[in-house]
Parts: sequence; structure tokens; C-alpha cells
Amino acid sequence: MSNKKGAYGTSGGGDTSFRKTWDRDEYAARAEERERKHKEESKARYEAALEGKKYHRRASTPPDARETEARSSRLDVASMVGKTMLVPAGAGIGKRGKGAGFYCEACDLTFKDNIQYVEHLNSRQHLVATGQTGEVKRAGVEEVRARLLWLKRKRDEETKEVVIDLDARLEMNREREEREREERRRKRNEKRRKTKDGLGHQEVKIENDGIIC
Amino acid sequence: MAKGDAFHKADASALLDDRGYSGALIRGQNPALLFEKGVRERITDSYYWKEQCFGLNAATLCDRAVELKFIGGTTGIMGKPTPFLCLAFKLLQLVPEKEILLEYLNFSAHSPEDVDTDNAGEFKYLRALAAFYIRLAWEPVDIYKTLEPLLLDRRKLKRRTKDGFTLTYVDQFVDDLLTKDRVCATSLWKMPPRSLLEDLDLLEPRESLLQEEIEALDEEGDDDVQIVGSEGDD
Ligand SMILES: [Zn+2]
Repeated sequence: MSNKKGAYGTSGGGDTSFRKTWDRDEYAARAEERERKHKEESKARYEAALEGKKYHRRASTPPDARETEARSSRLDVASMVGKTMLVPAGAGIGKRGKGAGFYCEACDLTFKDNIQYVEHLNSRQHLVATGQTGEVKRAGVEEVRARLLWLKRKRDEETKEVVIDLDARLEMNREREEREREERRRKRNEKRRKTKDGLGHQEVKIENDGIIC
Repeated sequence: MAKGDAFHKADASALLDDRGYSGALIRGQNPALLFEKGVRERITDSYYWKEQCFGLNAATLCDRAVELKFIGGTTGIMGKPTPFLCLAFKLLQLVPEKEILLEYLNFSAHSPEDVDTDNAGEFKYLRALAAFYIRLAWEPVDIYKTLEPLLLDRRKLKRRTKDGFTLTYVDQFVDDLLTKDRVCATSLWKMPPRSLLEDLDLLEPRESLLQEEIEALDEEGDDDVQIVGSEGDD
């Protein structure tokens, strides 16, 4: 069915549609976070002005640097598994340019395995190149609670998805069995109708002593 | 507010800096030292640590903790740390405030008035993780008071052993934390026994069913026995 609506009212369907909902939640949360940061900064600026001081963002940080955040998903290393890679020997650090292996676009470096790649993503060099501070904002108890509520909602909906899926499969099985039963019945009936007397083909009886020569 | 209060490092570089460490202390020392050196090194060398623990704060750590499938220390001949142990180490880096640990431990999506022992701590592996951290990082009286209510939690937990899996329960795991010296590849610092804290009047005797029965008997007896001078004793 092409006009099927996803379980969350997203059109298009496909088995990734529910993920998009989460992404949207994530984006909304990010937007809120940006808003909050903006307010925080305005407040700090205002307070500094009240005291007759000039407001500075945290020292030694470029003005557009953002806080470092946890990865929101697993690194995609699965897609690399089983691929043969030609990597220069002794490649302890990344090799300049895009090559076979794990490529970091921001730094234009290629790494021979996922360990070196993730080590690079965590490195000072990469953080600076991508405008991150390498510092993470502490979370308060309200943020923790909000996060847990979100995770709970997410889990509940995923469970529901599985149940719906299971129900649908059971229903399909039932329908298939019903169809097969119907088909057998139809064939039986047809066979019977084909004989003149309507009694169907009967066993041929041999009317002698029962010895077949 | 000092810079260190609002932010922390994405990795463990500050935590592992023996001389330069300036973060929160647990019982007077760098929290990292609660794990043995070898275990610490295997954690920070592990792929899970590098990929999944980098940049976590107390809120995003929940994303990982609710995905946990088992508890445990280290596995195999290489002593590979479990995700559970890695996240516990992350908590030692973050040293979250008490209310956060209590939220991990007793989180319920129900409104506060509907929370009871049956629906508190909905994410059981998060609950186990918090209990493990609390046993390592808190003071004895708080440990007993906070963890003992979990002895009513009979939910199953999968536990990774050196070479396989075993089944345990939340209450069993908490009991281990309160009574054993070694849990999940970690030596637990020696805690004063409950009886000592009771003698010092730091803890009320633990109420059990038996205790309630004894009290019921005492109350029945009150009609017959006159206790003389009970009012002016203290
Ligand atoms: Zn890079």
C-alpha cells in the first residue's frame, strides 16, 4: 500500500519513518537548548553591563565554539566490516586525503580502523577542527528527569510497534491458513462434481478372488 | 560559578591526571582510584568507552544505561570491561549530585503521588548502575538508607561472568553490594556493619516482617503489663 500512514502519523511509511520522529524530537530539544543558551548569554551580558563590565564568553574559546556532546548514534562501522582495505603500513595517524578506510571529512584524513577513527574523533585536533570546546555541559536533575521521561516514551512506543507488528503477522497467518483451507475444500468439491453421478471417483473394486494378475 | 562547576571534560584526561586532578573527591581521594589500575586502563582502552562514553553528561548517560542488557565486571582472558562497568567509571568522572542518583535509582514516569515500590526504578539496569555507584561513592548511613528499599525489587538481571552469563535479581545484587567485598571486578571499600551504626544511633533497626510481628505482640501485652517509670527514663 503506497498511501499507508506510519504508526506515528508520518506519511510515506517505510521502516525508518518512526526514527524520523525521534530525530524531530531531538531537533526540537536542540532548538530549545539553543534558545536556552541564547537566553543565558543575554542574561550574563546584561548582568555584566549592570556591573559596568564587558561581557566575555568563556576565555580561550573561540566565539562560535560549541560544547562537545555525546554521539547521538553508533558510529557506522558495520558498513565497513568485511571490506578489504589497503592501508599503508605503520599508519598510526591518519593519512592525508580520502582513501580506503575511515575518512574524516573535516580534517581530510583517513584512518585504517574504527579504533583509530574514534580516537581521532575524540582528539583535540578534531575537536578544534570542528569548532568544539572539548567540554561538556553538566546536566541538572531536571534535565535528567526530562531525558528519562523521553526515553520511557520512546521505549513504550517501540514496544507498541513490536506488538502491532506481531498482531499483524498473526492476522496474516490466520488469513493464509483460512485461504489454504478454502482452496482444499474447493478442489475436493470440484473433483466430486467432475464425475457423472456426483459421487466423485470411487475406489475400483475388483470382483473376483482379489488376486491381481 | 567556577568554570569547573558548569562543564566537564568530554574524556577522562582530567580524571586520570594523578597530580593535576582538581575535580570532586570521594572520601578524600580521586574517584578514579575506586577502580583498580588494570581495570581503569582496560576501560579507557575499550572501544565502548571511546565511542559510547565520550561526551556524556548525567542526562545523556541515561541513553546508554537504558540500553544495558546485563551487569558485570570484566570478561574473557583479556578482561574486557562490560558496558556496565564503563558507565560506572563515567559516573565516577561526573560525580553527579545526590538528587540525580536518586532519580536514576527511583525514576518513574508516574506522577509523584502515584510512585510506589512497584513502579519506582522503571529502568532496572539504570537502577543497578546507580546502586553500584552509590555503594562506591556515598557514606555508610546513606548507603544503607538508600539501597535497602531495593531489597524488595525481585526483577531479574542478567550478569556477565568471566566466560558466560548467569541470572541474578535486583535484590540479590543489592544484597551483594551491602555484604560482599568484591562486586563487578571492583573491591568495595569496607563499610561499617549495620549493627554498629544502629548502636551509634545513626540507623534505626531495620524493619522486617518479623519485627512487625514482635511489635504486634508487644502491643497486645500492653494491656496486661504496666511499665513503670517508662516516661521519665530518657
Ligand atoms: Zn577530524
